[in-house]
Amino acid sequence: MIKTFTQNDLISFIYNETSREKKEEIEKALLCDIQLQEEINKLKEAVKSLDEVVLNPSNKVINNILKYSESISLHPSKP
Amino acid sequence: MTTNISSDSQLISSYMKGNEEAFAILLERHKSRVFTTIQLIVKDRYTSEDLFQEVMIKAVNTIKGGKYKEEGKFLPWILRIAHNLAIDHFRKEKRYPTIVMEDGSNIFNCMDFSEECAETLQVTKETNKLVRQLIQQLPDNQKEVLVMRHFMQMSFKEIAEATGVSINTALGRMRYALINLRKKIKYHIAYDQNIYPK
Repeated sequence: MIKTFTQNDLISFIYNETSREKKEEIEKALLCDIQLQEEINKLKEAVKSLDEVVLNPSNKVINNILKYSESISLHPSKP
Repeated sequence: MTTNISSDSQLISSYMKGNEEAFAILLERHKSRVFTTIQLIVKDRYTSEDLFQEVMIKAVNTIKGGKYKEEGKFLPWILRIAHNLAIDHFRKEKRYPTIVMEDGSNIFNCMDFSEECAETLQVTKETNKLVRQLIQQLPDNQKEVLVMRHFMQMSFKEIAEATGVSINTALGRMRYALINLRKKIKYHIAYDQNIYPK
């Protein structure tokens, strides 16, 4: 089978930025190409690990921002 | 009453009319994504908190000052402010580097380690911490694309425009970033298992 997509196409594919035609082409190839399946799985695994990175600011900072907002009065722009 | 299911646009519109609760919901909804983006760039948690506060104060001033243009893109807008401030700080830090501890805190902050922060750090998952550390080890150009695509949700086209490279280069950098990250994770897991065999 002749592959008509590049490594970069796979990145577009996992981030849902590929064209419909390319997407269908890759999905079709995935059904029978084990090497491609492994490659996609490796990339998806790395993407999944990124989803676990969730950081939050402290409550103190959040409260400071909310207090600041309350202290500022509205100045709507003139039409 | 403002509900959590309101869209960002509805919340901003309500906030512009003086509803502070609407802003509190917006802040709660997007705090993680904005804060994670900042901390992945600047590394130091305390500086990240200062920058996060600065970003949100800018947002408050812009919205309450009547200068915010509602185009249904509140999150990309706030993330762009966060990214720009963090990058400015990062560039200054390169000239005057500070020592950052393994947990992401500035070494000088250890002298005044707040109870709240220690608690937050305890809650942080080990995988979260490991991946975060490994992201910091990536080359700057790969890390930049990774943060922009994954955490700021910019498209590769937008990243290419923002960084002055072709879409293919942006895609290639993301690819190398993911491959490198996976290799590093595998290495660390294998290393840990050698020390602590199951």
